[in-house]
Amino acid sequence: MKNFVLMLVLLTGSGFSLADVLIKGARLVTDNGETGEIRDLRIEGGRIVEIGVNLIATNQTRTFDAMARPITAGLIDSATTIGLAEVSGLGVSYDGEVSGDEMAAGFQVALALNSASTLIPLASNDGITRGIVVPEPGDSNFAGQSAAVRFVRGSNFLQRADNALHLYLRERDRRHAGGSRSRALSQAVDALKEAARFERQREAYDSNRLRPFEIGHDDLEALVLVLSGKMPLVVHVDRAADIRNVVDAFTAFADVRLVLAGVAEAWKVTEILLAHDIPVLINALDNLPQNFDRLGARLDQALLLSVSGVRFALMSGSPYSEFRSLTQAAGVAVAHGLAWEQALLAMTSVPAEIWGLEGLGKIELGAKADLVIWSGDPLEVSSAPVVVMVDGDWVNLETRQDLLAKRYLEVLDLETTD
Amino acid sequence: MKTILLLLMVATWIGELSADYGSTYQPKTHKSFLIDNAVIDVGEGQGEFLGWVAVSGGRIQAMGTADEPKPEVEERLDANGLWLTPGIIDVHSHLGDYPSPSYRAHSDGNEATSPVTAEVWAEHSVWPQDPQFPLALAGGVTVLQILPGSANLFGGRSVVLKNVWSRTVQGMKFPGAPYGLKMACGENPKRVYGSKSQSPATRMGNFAGYRKAWIDAQEYQKKWQRYEKALSEYIAWESTKRGSDYKARPSPPKRNLQMETLVGVLEGEILVHNHCYRADEMAQIIDLSREFNYQVTAFHHAVEAYKIGDLLAANNVCAAMWADWWQFKLESYDGVKSNVPMVHAAGACAIVHSDSATGIQRLNQEAAKALAAGRRLGLSLTDSDALTWLTRNAAKALGILEQTGTLASGKMADLVLWSHPPLSVYARAQVVFIDGVKHFDREQGIGPVTDFEIGQREEIF
Repeated sequence: MKNFVLMLVLLTGSGFSLADVLIKGARLVTDNGETGEIRDLRIEGGRIVEIGVNLIATNQTRTFDAMARPITAGLIDSATTIGLAEVSGLGVSYDGEVSGDEMAAGFQVALALNSASTLIPLASNDGITRGIVVPEPGDSNFAGQSAAVRFVRGSNFLQRADNALHLYLRERDRRHAGGSRSRALSQAVDALKEAARFERQREAYDSNRLRPFEIGHDDLEALVLVLSGKMPLVVHVDRAADIRNVVDAFTAFADVRLVLAGVAEAWKVTEILLAHDIPVLINALDNLPQNFDRLGARLDQALLLSVSGVRFALMSGSPYSEFRSLTQAAGVAVAHGLAWEQALLAMTSVPAEIWGLEGLGKIELGAKADLVIWSGDPLEVSSAPVVVMVDGDWVNLETRQDLLAKRYLEVLDLETTD
Repeated sequence: MKTILLLLMVATWIGELSADYGSTYQPKTHKSFLIDNAVIDVGEGQGEFLGWVAVSGGRIQAMGTADEPKPEVEERLDANGLWLTPGIIDVHSHLGDYPSPSYRAHSDGNEATSPVTAEVWAEHSVWPQDPQFPLALAGGVTVLQILPGSANLFGGRSVVLKNVWSRTVQGMKFPGAPYGLKMACGENPKRVYGSKSQSPATRMGNFAGYRKAWIDAQEYQKKWQRYEKALSEYIAWESTKRGSDYKARPSPPKRNLQMETLVGVLEGEILVHNHCYRADEMAQIIDLSREFNYQVTAFHHAVEAYKIGDLLAANNVCAAMWADWWQFKLESYDGVKSNVPMVHAAGACAIVHSDSATGIQRLNQEAAKALAAGRRLGLSLTDSDALTWLTRNAAKALGILEQTGTLASGKMADLVLWSHPPLSVYARAQVVFIDGVKHFDREQGIGPVTDFEIGQREEIF
């Protein structure tokens, strides 16, 4: 344990290198957290340029000895609120939803993001290098657009402002549509049809020759992107019957790229998801039957999806409350039968594919150097990243929490082994 | 599954009709048995050993290492090297008073109508058919304290339950466990009442409210003490009728349920469980307890306990904490992952609690996360230390350590067999015994199904 800390000190002491990096002796874990081939990785220009054994360092290269520890691609959290709130609850500083609008498809969380958030290094300490920052519904079932972010504090935090459009059709979202989920769904479909009309008659609209639309201009533009498949549509839905209706309704639009999130009962309708190749986002710890939509919620959902061949990615939701850690959820899914490899893929290559994150989610030649070297099995709750790299640069892992803990170690004069 | 349910029903049927809100829980009888070849941690922080535990009449009869002689028993269970620990105890739960499904009709945890509601009892809100109870059982939880919520300065009485299927709450009540009193610091009471333009609207208002209630309780206590003195004088006079003065039988003061609970605390019969996040507020609460001469048993959600571990140790107050739940309100903003191990290292009584129907299903993992954070900080702690946060220390805070919380001869046979080392993310409770009765067996598909789940959600653990 001590030498992890020591290595961190050495690393941080040397500054965050923009130079080329040679990672020596990293264990490529694939089908479990502990075994795998040991390889060296050469990183140049933020990409992995060589994977092999006994790679030689040049003068310009900074070498890091992984000491046979597990290495994975940086993890991707497919739903987080980091950047939207320093303190999430009770309206302290949360920017992730808008009220008063009956249609918020045009709302983007991107402009609200705090790229200096003290929560960003917390994500790094969970091995997460990329995330999707998701809006919540205020007074509209269309909650707005999520942003794709990179978990490094500073100017390049935001990577994409129009990552996906989020539509909420869970039990409690009925209230935004006059009280019935039937209307909630038909309103959403009508909005897309309206956007199609807008797109067809864009010229007339621009020259004011068209009667005004019910929906605002920003909202229409967002829906147009969804219609063309340029922006995925993420529908948050739980009940099996609703999943069927949602799939029926939105697969009628030829180019819409549908993703489903939450999906407590997805395991009951895997054949439909498979038939349309619809990926799902799940919180693998969320097994409570909190309402009648979620009676089928279960801890082995990931296993059931995996067996049926449905693509799924893991999301933490609101990561610092009950559902704390992405790797913990993955580990629990494995404890309930999911193959270890599938659990890792659900945090790496699968979300990279769903969100179109080029070069991410894989350790291979040419891939972006988003890498995590772990103290042990990455899914084990006692493990933590030893070092994290994003786009070829080491990330500063020190958190405000670390500083607080260290202060009170001293105040209370607690004995440590260091 | 169905036969097990029936057996459970018959077991809980027997004493259910007695009065007084008392426990009617009676464990089913079972054959004496011995779990052999298990890696045992007794929950005292002393490490593990390979050995056996013998159970008879619901109690631990004897324990030993592999080579020690074993008693004669009716059944023998080979653990094949699985891990055996005491049952997990959650000191902070709202199962049953905030059940699933969680509609408003089911929201029975906060009597948020007055800042002082010491008169309400959580057990009168608990719905025994909450499907979250079996989920907690599958996480190895054998005992749990159900508390009222934290909207009020004095939220009401808690109840300690055995995690057994029963038609009634009385059939779940831990026999003889003391009641707790839920108190709350900080943001919640002042927000709930401040928003109604009512006191408390500030933290200083909170304290004025506590002090006023304790002054009233002292008054009430004196009133009853005067009555009891007068009564004993009357009884003494009545038996002899000596002396010149005729004495009338004194009439008792009118009962006040709110004051009864508070006086229960002043007399040391009811344990104080105080929701309190911030270190400075915990220190103030300790002063409050000195002013009115009562003991705070535990601070709950003590996110900043790491700042005052020495103070907690000196005042014999436990801190019940999450591993890493923070940031959801301002008073939780200074949360650190090493909170629990830092409190432990300061010599205070550290507990990992859930306050969550999700978290209660994996308290072992929460302890593991906290332990790992402590080690990364350089604290010397063992896996066995971390287990005490879920077992011995939790039992101590509930006043039931004499009966359960560690493995020792004569104690209740509340046991969990784990598939992996209990602090691993891969560990699942394989078998759970409560008072020697097998209530859960993952491989054999044995486990309670609540009435709510019948016909719509069965066989989902």
